[in-house]
Amino acid sequence: MIPWSAFIYVEWWTRSRRNRCFSLWIPLFLAWLLLLPLVLVLFPVVALVCLFVRVNALRLYAAAWGILTSLRKTRVEVRAPAARVLVSIA
Amino acid sequence: MTNSTIFNFESRNAMNDDRKTILEMLAAGRITADEAERLLAALESSPANSATESSPPAPGDAAARRAIKPKYLRVLVEADEHTIGFKGGPTTVNVRVPMQLLRAGVRLAGLIPAQAHDQVDRAFTQHGVPITLSQIKPENLEELIDHLGDLTVDVDGKDENKTRVRVFCE
Repeated sequence: MIPWSAFIYVEWWTRSRRNRCFSLWIPLFLAWLLLLPLVLVLFPVVALVCLFVRVNALRLYAAAWGILTSLRKTRVEVRAPAARVLVSIA
Repeated sequence: MTNSTIFNFESRNAMNDDRKTILEMLAAGRITADEAERLLAALESSPANSATESSPPAPGDAAARRAIKPKYLRVLVEADEHTIGFKGGPTTVNVRVPMQLLRAGVRLAGLIPAQAHDQVDRAFTQHGVPITLSQIKPENLEELIDHLGDLTVDVDGKDENKTRVRVFCE
């Protein structure tokens, strides 16, 4: 299943020891909808390029789809003394 | 006292030390309760694995281990302020990557044209990773990913460098 949303959280501390933060929820399903026409246009172009460089286009599509569908539940978190960043794909 | 009893006793002592270290890190606020819980769970599962390896394998063990496939590759890095240069405390990096993503990535790497293999191999070797891409074949991929499940890497910095890197599957 392709990821539906991404969550970004950034928190940092100012010099006056006050913490600021912002969180951003990105609805990826809207991005997929917007990108779908572009992908459909790019399909034959990619197939032509694959033909030129002798790569199996179907295997490439399958691999790209595999990466897209397995991105879910990826999580990266970095905590530094003065900041914290979290990126989570759901 | 048999060798296995001594081994169990020593491993239990090491486990207690690790548990103590985790609890101290939690008390010092260097890790969250969630992270401490995950580390303790990983700690509890690792001696079980080593015990399984030290004793003769039971017929059902291999099947059971194969049945419980790890879902994520975890990379935990903890660097002290001297190493990173940020003052005020340690910097931690916590990455969780689905194993499925690794599988897909390796499959994508398998699509690299044969004529590009030499260049990629040379670049890998220059960066200290002596890998021959042409040796990675689709039939070996599943085996490669499956064996990642047994992978645990612990790196502790020496002397003043207190950087800790932990790579494991869960």
